[in-house]
Amino acid sequence: MNFKHTFLLVVLLVTQIIWSQSTRNGVITSENGTPIPGASVTIENTARGVQTDFDGQFSIEASNGDVLVIRYLGFTEEKVTVNANQTTYNIILQEDVNQLNEVVVVGYGTQRKEVLTSSVAQIRGDELVEESVLNATQALQGKAAGVQVIASDAPGQASRVVIRGLGTVQGGRDPLYVIDGVLTDNINNINIADIESINILKDAASLAIYGNRGANGVIIVTTKKGKTGKLQVKFNTYTGVRDILRTVDMANAEQFVIYSNEAALRDLLNDNDPTNDNDFSNFLPTNQQYDTNWLDEITRIGLIRDYYLSLSGGDEKINAFFSVGFNEEEGILLNNDFNRLTVRSNVDYKITEKLNFSHKVGVQLATGSPQSFGLFTSAYKQAPIIPARLDDGTFGSSIAINNVANPLIDATNAFKREKNKFFKVQGAFQLDYEVFDDLTFTSRFSIETEYGRFYNFRNRLGRFLADNPSNTESSFEGGIENPSKTRLTITHTNTYRWFIDNYFTYKKTFFDKHNIDVTLGITAEENQSEFLSATRNNVPLDSNLNFNLNNGDQNDTQSNSGAISVTDRLYSYLARLNYNYDGKYLLGGSFRRDGSSRFQDGSQFGNFYALSTGWVVTEEDFFSDTAFDILKLRASFGQLGNQNVPFNIITATTGSGGFYAFGPNQELQQGITITGTVQEDLSWEVTEETNIGLEYTLLDYRLSGEIEVYKRVNTNAILEIELPDVIGFDPFNSAVGEVENKGIEFSLNWSDKIGEDFSYSIGGNFSFNENKISKVTNPFFNEQLGGFINNGEYTKKITVGQSLGSFFLYEVEGIDESGDFVYRDNNNNGIVDEGDRKFFDSYLPKYYTSLNLSMNYKNFDFSTDLFGSFGNQIYNGKKAQRFGNENIELSTFNNRYTSGQPSNTTPRAFNDVPISSDYYLESGDFIRVNNVTLGYTLPEKTLKYFTKMRIYASARNPLIWQRFSGFTPELPGDPLGGAGIELDAYPTLSSFYIGLNTSF
Amino acid sequence: MKYSESKTVWIMLLLAISVNLLQSCSKDFIDVESNQETESALTSDRAPELVNAVYNSLLAWEVSSFAWTGLTSIASDDADKGSILSDTGVDKHLLDALDISPTLLSVADVWRGHFDAIQRANQALNRIEQFDDMDEELQSRLLGEAKFLRALFYFRLVQTYGGVPVITSINSLDDINEDLLTRATTEETYAFIEQDLIEAIESLPEKSEYPTSELGRATKGAAKALLAKVSMYQEKWEQVKILTNEIIASGEYGLTPNYEDIWKESSENNIESIFEIQSRGEDPAAGVDKYSTIQGARGEGGWGWGFNTPSQDLDNAYENGDTRRQATIMFAGETLYDGRVISINAPNPRYNQKAYSSALTEAEITGKNVRLLRYAEVLLMNAEAAAVIGGDVSTPLNQIRQRAGLEPTTATSQLAVWEERRLEMAFEHDRYFDLVRQGRASTVLNSKGIPFQTGKHELFPIPQEQIDLSGGVLTQNPGY
Repeated sequence: MNFKHTFLLVVLLVTQIIWSQSTRNGVITSENGTPIPGASVTIENTARGVQTDFDGQFSIEASNGDVLVIRYLGFTEEKVTVNANQTTYNIILQEDVNQLNEVVVVGYGTQRKEVLTSSVAQIRGDELVEESVLNATQALQGKAAGVQVIASDAPGQASRVVIRGLGTVQGGRDPLYVIDGVLTDNINNINIADIESINILKDAASLAIYGNRGANGVIIVTTKKGKTGKLQVKFNTYTGVRDILRTVDMANAEQFVIYSNEAALRDLLNDNDPTNDNDFSNFLPTNQQYDTNWLDEITRIGLIRDYYLSLSGGDEKINAFFSVGFNEEEGILLNNDFNRLTVRSNVDYKITEKLNFSHKVGVQLATGSPQSFGLFTSAYKQAPIIPARLDDGTFGSSIAINNVANPLIDATNAFKREKNKFFKVQGAFQLDYEVFDDLTFTSRFSIETEYGRFYNFRNRLGRFLADNPSNTESSFEGGIENPSKTRLTITHTNTYRWFIDNYFTYKKTFFDKHNIDVTLGITAEENQSEFLSATRNNVPLDSNLNFNLNNGDQNDTQSNSGAISVTDRLYSYLARLNYNYDGKYLLGGSFRRDGSSRFQDGSQFGNFYALSTGWVVTEEDFFSDTAFDILKLRASFGQLGNQNVPFNIITATTGSGGFYAFGPNQELQQGITITGTVQEDLSWEVTEETNIGLEYTLLDYRLSGEIEVYKRVNTNAILEIELPDVIGFDPFNSAVGEVENKGIEFSLNWSDKIGEDFSYSIGGNFSFNENKISKVTNPFFNEQLGGFINNGEYTKKITVGQSLGSFFLYEVEGIDESGDFVYRDNNNNGIVDEGDRKFFDSYLPKYYTSLNLSMNYKNFDFSTDLFGSFGNQIYNGKKAQRFGNENIELSTFNNRYTSGQPSNTTPRAFNDVPISSDYYLESGDFIRVNNVTLGYTLPEKTLKYFTKMRIYASARNPLIWQRFSGFTPELPGDPLGGAGIELDAYPTLSSFYIGLNTSF
Repeated sequence: MKYSESKTVWIMLLLAISVNLLQSCSKDFIDVESNQETESALTSDRAPELVNAVYNSLLAWEVSSFAWTGLTSIASDDADKGSILSDTGVDKHLLDALDISPTLLSVADVWRGHFDAIQRANQALNRIEQFDDMDEELQSRLLGEAKFLRALFYFRLVQTYGGVPVITSINSLDDINEDLLTRATTEETYAFIEQDLIEAIESLPEKSEYPTSELGRATKGAAKALLAKVSMYQEKWEQVKILTNEIIASGEYGLTPNYEDIWKESSENNIESIFEIQSRGEDPAAGVDKYSTIQGARGEGGWGWGFNTPSQDLDNAYENGDTRRQATIMFAGETLYDGRVISINAPNPRYNQKAYSSALTEAEITGKNVRLLRYAEVLLMNAEAAAVIGGDVSTPLNQIRQRAGLEPTTATSQLAVWEERRLEMAFEHDRYFDLVRQGRASTVLNSKGIPFQTGKHELFPIPQEQIDLSGGVLTQNPGY
């Protein structure tokens, strides 16, 4: 066929189509008559379609007999057949009350919730905004069953998220975050107000498409798009104050002196030297000049301000969304501030009927001035008899009685200055091409890069002099020549990653009832990070000079270091097939083959898959006349990977591990050796997960919920192996363990209207998870110790049969007649030794639950959330760490054993470092009111320039019921590190806000 | 029909492109180079570095610092635990009281540290032996150095624990079996040490034959001195005599005129030095981990933890006029040669001056070279051999006494050499094992209230954790 013929054919065809068509107009409205802009009007079985304009109007060329299909999210689909003599079609869309009709975002695509066979929790952006927290991860707390969030209230700090229990010891534990297609580690840079939805993938069926990174769960964040119609401007702001929710009462100066002197007397009597028993020279005098409340000294009322402006609009060709947000926080700890600016631009271009291009770009600029949370420990421990400052303004020093630094020195930044700056850009650029009606090709390139800059200036001489009044400048650094009086260190870090994703999506219905949905694709990505750090001494003190390296000494005391990580790459093939018969019988399968540069040749490629099935019982005829609107049963099984495991190469030991000095001038000669061995074929951890779920909606869609049961087993958990010493190798990692998580999740929601003015909803969820190391296959498994509390004591240990993060402690039986602890002799050998330690529960909660309630009455809205966490233990590390002459809690003072007042709960005053025992282990159970918000929307008729205005007042964490005696039961950290141990921990805060939401 | 034809073309085209992409890119894309040095970096040009890393083991905390000091010195009658009452140094109070159990940290540290060091020696030996493209003279010397060091580590192990597993290969997880973990007898262990030393003597140059830049490496003289000491521990007196005579005759060594100077920075690697741990204090530091800090004066004006303090008994043992007393002991209130004052209020009356580093910094790693073998000990071994099998005891013995500022003695008994040896070698990690070797540990120690039990305390226990880890293949020493 030559060109001429083709041309003729096309002309003929086109003419023929035009011949029979004429223009049809109409308005699409909702039930209450409001026009619906942006609704799609298409002609069935063709690619032709238009969108309604801002007034809900459309106009389309259609022939007799064509069927117009009108769709708009949140409304049921309408079909209207065009007939010859009707040109105007006013169509009313019914609101879709069927919640299960919502679309769920899954990996590399979307799926209708109705036919979903996997476990995905969806949270709408507007549910999160209510929480008035900076970081979206914290707002997730209590929002979904199976998603445990350990919140942190520290400025700029992210909360820790654990999905369906901890499955790994040595590997990465955080879920994978996917922001508009960018696979990343956190969502700290995302403004909550920019979030359209968060979808949390929990079971193998939904996670297998993320293969080697699916094992810890995936959190998909989708940001907002521009809405077709008139430009909408939103401006939101809130401001609030924050304070410590719960403090611990400490002994005052008088009580401290009594306690310390009792302890000193006990030491004298116990040292078997009768000559000093009446030597009271080291006792503290009873009438003290000062009574310092150290926590008050280093804290203040925190302040938060938040501003947010967004623009959204679009027409048939372009939809755009732009936002800018600014958040500023003065933390409760002095000089601990954080502020963040976010800018986002999301634009969709409809290039042709078949070709769409979109970009979603977010930028974050954050600045923080960090403080060590160790100051909270210092404030807890410092003696009240020490003045925060003397009358002449100098800092009080406790050098004469204990080794605790005056926390006010660091809190006031008197001899230091620190600043962190972060700049992060994240962007996805996506082309969607509709190859045919049913087949779409998507090509996406996305990047993320983050620059961090860390400035750290120390006035070392100033600090040396302040720490001890007897220090002099000549004794600084042992009196060496040209000491480093000040020191500036600047570190620059950069991480970047890029992705190329190409995939096809094919959705088609065959013979009316056979629906298939296929995704097939290839992705590639690269990650790398680097840092550069430089230090100079004797930078001038002036604040305008002390962040400039060039102002420091140029001699050989300057130092620098830097490194670049190994290129980390993945090349993957992915596939997913979903089939359903008439929306009744559902089948799903997904697969990913990952090639990872992290592993050695031969162990680079891994296959991950999942199979799932579902049965929508309510689609069956025999079940149609019940109270159930929807009842769906589903099950899935699959294998997931965790490639975020320690690198597996034998690195040669060099540098200080190998060098040695030779020659009269002791010139260093380099050395090199091998001090380790590896398991050569070590690769990713493989988690097998089985999930059974039940979804139900009943009583006219008013009651809905889900029940899920799961078991996930990390079948080759990587653990540390320690060979006998005679082999001479360092401990190394080997895949010899099995970690098991079993759990049940329930969620339940009820929403209803009473009359025209009052609507309400009440919902809750409950999660139970049991975690343990179920198997270890190698006799040289190293039962690693952890939870060190910086006084020589450890508190945790890993072993088979116990939950990860279990405490391993001595057991206090009681208090003896001399007021000392009696430890239980668990191994019955007559003495207290290591063998007497026993396992207690883990810091991981077994149950967590939430309850939320929201009500709307006329223009008022009210919402509240409760969150509870139970079944874990917390180690009171700050109390257990006590060295001599450090302050004690008021209850310790009041309840202590004295000869006049024997106690069986609290020992007598003592100065020894206590061994780690269950005396310091407390229940972690708590229930907290996370949020109470009351809002009022001004009646529309009173507004002149605005289309909406709402004012609200909100309280965050106003109340807590906790069994733990410390500052916070929420203690994030590593399982073998500080998790569940209150030491150097940031307290939980309660916050009170007022805010304003407007749009115009 | 046309419609579906074009559809097929499209799909074929896209598939063709994708398959092409799949095939060509994926493997290449994920094959990335490591940016750290791995095992493949160990080529023949790095042979000296492999041996340097064995020397580096001498700087380790477990090999030369707290635990080793505890076992060799605090446990003996020369030293007390020191420091303050509440600071036990984990288990040093138990060592001081000879209350020894298989779970002591010090016992575990010495075991681990020395086997780690032996592993490094085995890495060097096994790899360098395989290199066929290197200078043979250098190869031979490097093998000799590594063998000397391996012998030194095994000698310390056999002194401490008796026979130990003798490991000469590089092992992985799969190689671990009963044979590997089984203890050799004391005799077998000594035989292995002797073999390493004989080979080292053959291949090592004399001290003067090394270029100056290599000062500090193991020498022929050092290997001979160590073999003499190893022979002495087995009472092979003929061999002790021959070896020490050879060293004396070599002309490589002599005595430092002033005893106190031996431990000064300025005397490092001097004429008397046969082998010492090279310690560099300047940044980047490569010194024995906290050696001076552990034994430094504590409290007011102090710089250390105050452990391993000279006992009253040692102080009393010096004759009047013995210059070694002031050189060995720093007394509270004393002003040292470099002007440093030990506070009169220091918590301990005496500290170990041989561990003192004059560097006036707060650094935990100082430039203190730890002297392991020196010419004076060769003379003492020579004298002792003569005392046992006949020969000239007086000449070498009186050389020692004369340097200490004492009158010559006419005594020629083995006991006389032993008494001299204690004062000459105090705090040189020798006393405890020396008493055991001499067979009079219980007599001497019991008389000073130290509860040495014959049949038990000749050896320290094998670490319990290691016995457990071996599944009972490692056997415990008698009495524990």
